Amino acid sequence: MSTASGPRVGLFVTCLVDAMRPQIGFAALQLLEEAGCRVEVPRQQTCCGQPAWNSGDAADAASIARQVIAAFEPYDYLVAPSGSCAGTITHYPELLARDPVWGPRAAALAAKTHEVLSFLVDVLGYTPTGLRLDASATYHDSCSGLRELGVHDQPRALLAAVEGLELRPLEGDNVCCGFGGTFCVKYPAISNAIITEKAEAIDATGADLLLAGDLGCLMNMAGKLHRRGSKVRCYHTIEIIAGGGAGPAIGETP
Amino acid sequence: MTAQDQTSFKARAGAALADTTLKLAIDRTTGTAERKRAAALAGFPEFEAARARGAAIKDHVIANLDHYLETFERNATAAGAKVHWAATAEEACDIVVRLCREADAKHVTRSKSMLGEEIHLPDALATAGIERVETDLAEHIIQLAGEHPSHIIWPAMHRTREQVAVLFNADHKPPPDAEDPASMVQSARRVLREKFLSADVGISGANFLVADTGATCTVTNEGNAELTTTPPRVHIVTAGIEKLVPTTAHAFALLRLLVRSATGGELTQYTTFHCGPKRPGDADGPEEMHIVLVDNGRSRMIKDEFREMLRCIRCGACMNHCVVYRQIGGHAYGGTYPGPMGAVLTPVLDGLKQSRDLPFACTMNGRCAEVCPVRIPLPTLLRAWRVRSWEEGLEKAPMRAGLGLWATLARRPGLYRLASAIAVRTLRVLGRSGWIRSLPLAGGWTEHRDLPAPAGGTFMERYKAERAKGDSR
Amino acid sequence: MTTRDSILAAVHAGLGGLRAEPDAIAAEAAGLLADLDAIRPRLAAPDPVDAFEIKAAALGTTIERVRHLDDVPAAVGRYLAAQGLPPAAAVQQTAALTALSWEGIAQDMATAPDQPAAVGLARLGIAESGSIVIHSATDSPILLAFLPLHHIVVLHASSVVAHLEDYARLLDGGSQPRNAILITGPSGTTDIEGSYVRGAHGPGFVHVIIVNDRSRA
Repeated sequence: MSTASGPRVGLFVTCLVDAMRPQIGFAALQLLEEAGCRVEVPRQQTCCGQPAWNSGDAADAASIARQVIAAFEPYDYLVAPSGSCAGTITHYPELLARDPVWGPRAAALAAKTHEVLSFLVDVLGYTPTGLRLDASATYHDSCSGLRELGVHDQPRALLAAVEGLELRPLEGDNVCCGFGGTFCVKYPAISNAIITEKAEAIDATGADLLLAGDLGCLMNMAGKLHRRGSKVRCYHTIEIIAGGGAGPAIGETP
Repeated sequence: MTAQDQTSFKARAGAALADTTLKLAIDRTTGTAERKRAAALAGFPEFEAARARGAAIKDHVIANLDHYLETFERNATAAGAKVHWAATAEEACDIVVRLCREADAKHVTRSKSMLGEEIHLPDALATAGIERVETDLAEHIIQLAGEHPSHIIWPAMHRTREQVAVLFNADHKPPPDAEDPASMVQSARRVLREKFLSADVGISGANFLVADTGATCTVTNEGNAELTTTPPRVHIVTAGIEKLVPTTAHAFALLRLLVRSATGGELTQYTTFHCGPKRPGDADGPEEMHIVLVDNGRSRMIKDEFREMLRCIRCGACMNHCVVYRQIGGHAYGGTYPGPMGAVLTPVLDGLKQSRDLPFACTMNGRCAEVCPVRIPLPTLLRAWRVRSWEEGLEKAPMRAGLGLWATLARRPGLYRLASAIAVRTLRVLGRSGWIRSLPLAGGWTEHRDLPAPAGGTFMERYKAERAKGDSR
Repeated sequence: MTTRDSILAAVHAGLGGLRAEPDAIAAEAAGLLADLDAIRPRLAAPDPVDAFEIKAAALGTTIERVRHLDDVPAAVGRYLAAQGLPPAAAVQQTAALTALSWEGIAQDMATAPDQPAAVGLARLGIAESGSIVIHSATDSPILLAFLPLHHIVVLHASSVVAHLEDYARLLDGGSQPRNAILITGPSGTTDIEGSYVRGAHGPGFVHVIIVNDRSRA
């Protein structure tokens, strides 16, 4: 239920959610509207440009950044269901530092860019009600959200409001899963060693579910867990908060 | 460059990953270091404020480096030390070898110094026919093994106690009484004690150069620096020009950060200031003190995008907390300095072309910057190397082409949506079970893990359809 | 151009050719040490000597407090006996110690390479870190603190300062000796698998005898 007075939010879906798991985007949309936002999905969005930026291709990254800035600057906020993509957008000012026109516009957008779970808690003061999920879950802190945007307590606070959900601590919850964007395909052997340790730690919790806030990390962890024959099912945290815990987990068919 | 650089980074990393003993050795030491650091910070709530101040002190020094270099030179000279300047590693080695020859040195003792490793001083002394005795226990181990340090704080981190026992049993006469760490340390103490007292020259590094007193500062837990720098007739210090601090009090502010970050202690057992040679009448101490100030690329860093790297106080926390270092260890990096700080510094020292993998072999998770006691933005600096790599055309053609195609699409939202819709449908066909076990062009992914198939339809398609439905109602 | 001049020129050019006045640099440097309590740990106890003792003990240093300097030789004798060592030690040849009556303890004038025990006088103690400070001098050989297995240190309670900066201040004014050493616990190493072993090259045991020469309120 969006209200006429609520903030106008531009939802940055992210390229991975768009292609691989749209329900994460719809969960974000639903919760933002429930929390009183007027949410729009600008058509001019594709990707935040992180693959180019992390590869050193600053020119392409800057050009994609300008496109994102133009598409989202009319809104009060840019909100994304990913700490990694939102984190990249907060770095646009560095990317466009020498551009007298786009530099300030990048800074203005960066200042109103948020990861969705922290936005719900910190900005909107949202607390879910009437949620129930009888399961045990463990939570991995995706690195960009944790270190670039301070996403740590907010998802845990939201999950604490889910009745019946038991949160189990994950050894090394703040340690990278080895995804790293292009890293995992450029250095597959090193990435594999890292994700193997992560999967072992996840399995050791004995939890039914693995939750995290970034689809890239989740695909890495879910893919490794499945290859190992683990029974742990993986969801984006926002799916659980939007009441999607009964739906198919990552890699499950409906 | 070191001998191991002949192989590729991927080959070295692969060999390291296959070495389960190495992994065990790394886990034992980095695990302890991580826990002890965390405990030390828990007892120092002022850490965040202290590291901001530490970064500011280093920035202040670098911003006034010419002033501090001249001040240090003046005060060290006044204290009786002789200050030498070296623009390159070769010049620095030449100076040290010349000083050793002038002292008619047959054998020299050396107290661990990463700058000494950086300039390849051990090789230079060997070439000059001067017997070198490494006195730090870890350096003693790797000297016996004929290796280079794999960590800047624990150079022999890659070796298990069993492997150390093999080395000591072969070299120490008599061999250690037993193969536990305590017996082996006792044996090294016995063997090295006589070397300390008969050395002609003692060579140390410096953790700090104190501008207003002209003193150099070493930090060791074993006491080997003092035993290296006191008995011989000549004491030679090699130090990078970024090691300056304005006063002793500034050194203390940084020491609080350094020690907690490195070993989890509050102050290392021996923090020693060396100011000139022995004074008239002093009971002991060297008759000559020489300080070799080494540039080796540092002055260049002042004006480029790597200036913040000059803050580094060499604590090793970044590597202890690095997921990649903890899998492959230090030798795989191929340079003097491993881990995140090494991935920034090695391209400075050895050239980007030779070490191009290092800035890329990083997941950009940011933990190194989070633990850095002087707030060096390591991922930002690694990214700066990636930009240089792209601009200098060092990126391989397939990656360039792939990214180019992707960027072309990403700039054309209509075309992008068409392409992603097709890709999603293709992947859905390949992954009817929900998972894709093998995918051409994505072997790096599917070799080690399954790829979840897309859940169905892109968000943008479904959103458009739902809105259309909503409007028609 | 000499190497020195070319390095300084490269540094200067890297800094944009600008150079602040020395007074301005000194003022900025001093400002970086303002409000020290915000960037250093608090003492482990309100009284600096108590704080010193807590910190030093945590490092494995053993401590005995005595009333007078005259009590030191007896305390040394007790320590040596408790350690099962013969009643002999190298005693630092400094007036405060040589003036004492060492009856019953054989004094070595020089420190042997495998000296079991030596007695030295600390210049200072630092409460923050539990460190003792020694300076090189005509009556203070550095090796006395490094060659023995047991380093016995006499510390006057009145010479315990609170923080590292309090010691740094005492060094100001050109009084820096050749060696100023902060000793913080016994020599140790973690170089083999990170496991801690005492007595790497320096003393494996540090015993501090605190002489209570302060007038207590």
